[in-house]
Amino acid sequence: MFRSGKGLFIVALADFLADLDTMAEQAVSQLAAVTDDEALEACRVKYLGAKQGLLKGIQKGLAKVDKADKPLAGKRFNEVKSTLEEALEQARNRISQQPTSKIQGPRLDPSLPGNPHRIGHPHPLTQTIEDLKEIMGRLGFTVVDGPEIEDEWHNFEALNIPASHPARDPLENFYLATAKHAVGPMLLRTQTSTVQIRVMEERKPPVRIISLGRVYRPDTPDATHYPMFQQIEGLLVDRHVTMADLKSMLRLFAGSYFGGDVHIRFRPSFFPFTEPSVEVDMTWGDGWMEMGGAGMVDPHVLSSVGYDPDEYSGFAFGLGVERICARRHNVTDIREFYRNDVRFLHQF
Amino acid sequence: MIVSWNWLKQYVALNMPLVDLERRLMMAGLNHEGTADVEGDMAIDLEVTSNRPDCLGHIGVAREIAVLWGSELRIPPADPPSGSTNVDGLAKVTIHCPALCRRYTARVIRGVKVGPSPDWLRQRLATCGIESINNVVDVSNYVLMECGQRLHAFDLSRLQGREIIVREPHKGETLEAIDHKMYQLEPGMCVIADANRAVGLGGVMGGVSTEVSNQTTDLLIEAAEFDPMAIRDTARRLHLHSDSSYRFERGIDAEAVDWASRRCCELILQVARGELAAGVIDIGQTPTSREPVKLRYDQLKRILGIAISPGESTRILTALGNAVHASSPQVIEVVPPSWRRDLTREIDLIEEVGRIHGYDAIPEDVSVPMTRSARTKFDRVVQRVREVLIACGFDEAMTVSAADESLSEAFSPWSRLPALATRTPVLRRADRLRRSLIPSLLECRRTNENVGNENIELFELARVYHAKQQGLPDEPIMLGLTSSDDLLAVKGVIEAILARIHSDVVLEVSDSDESLFASGEACELKIDGKVFGILGQVGDAGRKHFQLRGPTTVAELRMEVLLDHAVLVPQYQKMTQFPSITRDLNLEMDEGVAWAKVAGLVREHCGRLLERLDYLETYRDKQRLGKDRKSLLFKITLRDNKGTLTGTRADEIRDRVVAACAKQLGASLRAM
Repeated sequence: MFRSGKGLFIVALADFLADLDTMAEQAVSQLAAVTDDEALEACRVKYLGAKQGLLKGIQKGLAKVDKADKPLAGKRFNEVKSTLEEALEQARNRISQQPTSKIQGPRLDPSLPGNPHRIGHPHPLTQTIEDLKEIMGRLGFTVVDGPEIEDEWHNFEALNIPASHPARDPLENFYLATAKHAVGPMLLRTQTSTVQIRVMEERKPPVRIISLGRVYRPDTPDATHYPMFQQIEGLLVDRHVTMADLKSMLRLFAGSYFGGDVHIRFRPSFFPFTEPSVEVDMTWGDGWMEMGGAGMVDPHVLSSVGYDPDEYSGFAFGLGVERICARRHNVTDIREFYRNDVRFLHQF
Repeated sequence: MIVSWNWLKQYVALNMPLVDLERRLMMAGLNHEGTADVEGDMAIDLEVTSNRPDCLGHIGVAREIAVLWGSELRIPPADPPSGSTNVDGLAKVTIHCPALCRRYTARVIRGVKVGPSPDWLRQRLATCGIESINNVVDVSNYVLMECGQRLHAFDLSRLQGREIIVREPHKGETLEAIDHKMYQLEPGMCVIADANRAVGLGGVMGGVSTEVSNQTTDLLIEAAEFDPMAIRDTARRLHLHSDSSYRFERGIDAEAVDWASRRCCELILQVARGELAAGVIDIGQTPTSREPVKLRYDQLKRILGIAISPGESTRILTALGNAVHASSPQVIEVVPPSWRRDLTREIDLIEEVGRIHGYDAIPEDVSVPMTRSARTKFDRVVQRVREVLIACGFDEAMTVSAADESLSEAFSPWSRLPALATRTPVLRRADRLRRSLIPSLLECRRTNENVGNENIELFELARVYHAKQQGLPDEPIMLGLTSSDDLLAVKGVIEAILARIHSDVVLEVSDSDESLFASGEACELKIDGKVFGILGQVGDAGRKHFQLRGPTTVAELRMEVLLDHAVLVPQYQKMTQFPSITRDLNLEMDEGVAWAKVAGLVREHCGRLLERLDYLETYRDKQRLGKDRKSLLFKITLRDNKGTLTGTRADEIRDRVVAACAKQLGASLRAM
């Protein structure tokens, strides 16, 4: 069919639509079949290429469609164009989601180690101390600190350890080799109770504190002994404090640290600064496990710091940090704690 | 203390199973260490605390059992028959040192036949782990294990002058003890001598010269009371610890001295025959009566947290041997028995009533009032310091507070006074309390190098000890670091710590001449002019001293200074929306000009407009810059909180910085 006018060659609508549909059909089926990026790209260039693409060619034909038919032809063209773009996107998604093993060429290996970032480790004893402090903090105890080098008053006398007591033997202590000193003989503290004395000398009750840190006693190092060790000691002094408070507090503490509803048992014992003095056990499996020593603050200790033992009473308890830590992490030789082999430190 | 099941039955009925006995005794204060079968008898090992020497004999343990089960305690009366000859004509005793020996009693038995012990005696001792010697020695050991009092039997015929003199040793005096070792005697020791020589160490060990042998026929039986402190001192000095010294150290039952002597004689007569001389030589102080102790019944509940009735309390106290002196519905006064020197105060009686009644009765679910408690600033700062160091790859070490002399002297930047020393080393050779953490950390480094560990990055938080003229020593808490990395890497870690505690301080550096460090590769760190720490690369000599293969940088910081500058509760700063402008600068200058000088001028001339100052790099090139010249590249970020900063203004500021650096530092702008 020829028409006069500008002499342009007019394309029949039916032909245009037929070409369009044929091309669309081919493109959709080819896109559905591609399996890798390369084929996909070839397909895209063939059909949707900006310069030589078949769709582009057909678009040129649109200009030659009769003016009256153009709206319909244009509408159909746009539909086909979005169908192809959709098919392309689907194919792209399908390929990108297919198993890595089918991808060709160099690729990311996520099984490689990440970029190294070395982190250090807090000492296992620190971790134990922090855990204990945190629980005692929740139970209302405030951490106090004091000197490791002490005089005899704070390390012995005020703690009801008179000169005749075997613990005063020079061989049982690390005395300093100093000339005569105004404070008298000095020694490395043998317990952190010294700090409790210092606090009570400064403060009136109520007192609810824990003192912790290094203490020193002559001992030949072996798997369970070391001349230096870490101790944590709690003290509560107030009106109406009883052994029932001590037992209940220790039960809260043990349950918080070890988990579960535990029970506490007292066995009579002897410590100069407490009376009554007890060894504390907690339930552990089917039996009992030793926790540490405890007792009611000796009236002599209360008097030493200027508290009236008839008005105030209190309890004190002490725990060996190494023992708790060793048991928790199954460390069989406490000397490891002070050897600082990084292979050891990295285990915790 | 090992007790025999069969032996205990002599004093108290044992109708309970063994496990019940072990458990009840443990719950009353005699910890059970174990039980062994010895020839059909049970050897029960009990741990006796130092305040309970009364339980260092079977009678004492039997008494506890009798109290716990409410049963009868039977103690032998010990009344041996004696002959007509009086002891005063057979021997003589004098005490020259009453401070060391309060009381000395002697009895004499003549005509004994020394020989093997009968089976019952041998078996009793065997259960307790004591070897049989002969019937006389065995009896003295038997009485020791029965009541805790050490008896000594001398061969009377070998006591020169047939007399005993209790005195301190003569100068240079020695004693051959029954263990056949020679001991050098020193002042303060309590010697048992005859007319001419030392024949024993009172309360510690007898001498070989007057030892009972198979030829012995006449015996002098010593039962005495020695000073616990002197016994302890003697035993320690001579390394001579015996069953005897162990008991005397803890104090014996003064009133039982004579009973023990009679009991010993009674048993010797029984197993070795002979005739006991009439009477006793009893020199020194006889025990005085004790003061009554008061117990207010309401104090039981006040301390123990449980009510125990006056009736039950009285029963417990009297069963334990306390004599009721006075009694009312509110108060009881008792005179404690001679074997319980530990009972002198009300609290002692409260403990006795409590432990026999049983601590199991004390509830474990009372409510303890809540109270406020806050973490200390120190703990909060330390936690952050530790977090940063862990994130930077440092492991935490804990090393011993003492070091040997060579370590201690190797590095002490904080104190020039000599290190404090302990009289006995804390560990082998380590008797110096450390003045710095660095030597210990370097020693750790070597230990780790020696086992082939890589990545030895360590820190420690601990006290160091600095002597003072007056009062207790200073114990500042330090943070020590050792790293394989270089000085600026470690400085970066320190700056990260400062950033974590929101400290905006400027770290000042000055030269350090510590010999541990490589020349020119160390500095002292200051904040506001106050010494904060020291930082340096260990030099070759230092590495040789510590036998280190690899390079290391160390730092030691004063936690106190860190605490002073920590801002734990930062305050919100409003952020402006006006844009910032950056300018890169590249300044050429002499090698000797420190970055800190440049940075100081930048801060001074940018003033409040300076948001950041970033050092980028140092460039050196002999051809282009010349010898001993360098070029510093850095970036300044400017922002005005009050309005938009124009490029022209930023250029002006940059030019001011350049001009100042040119004028004061001889620096010139280098073409980019």
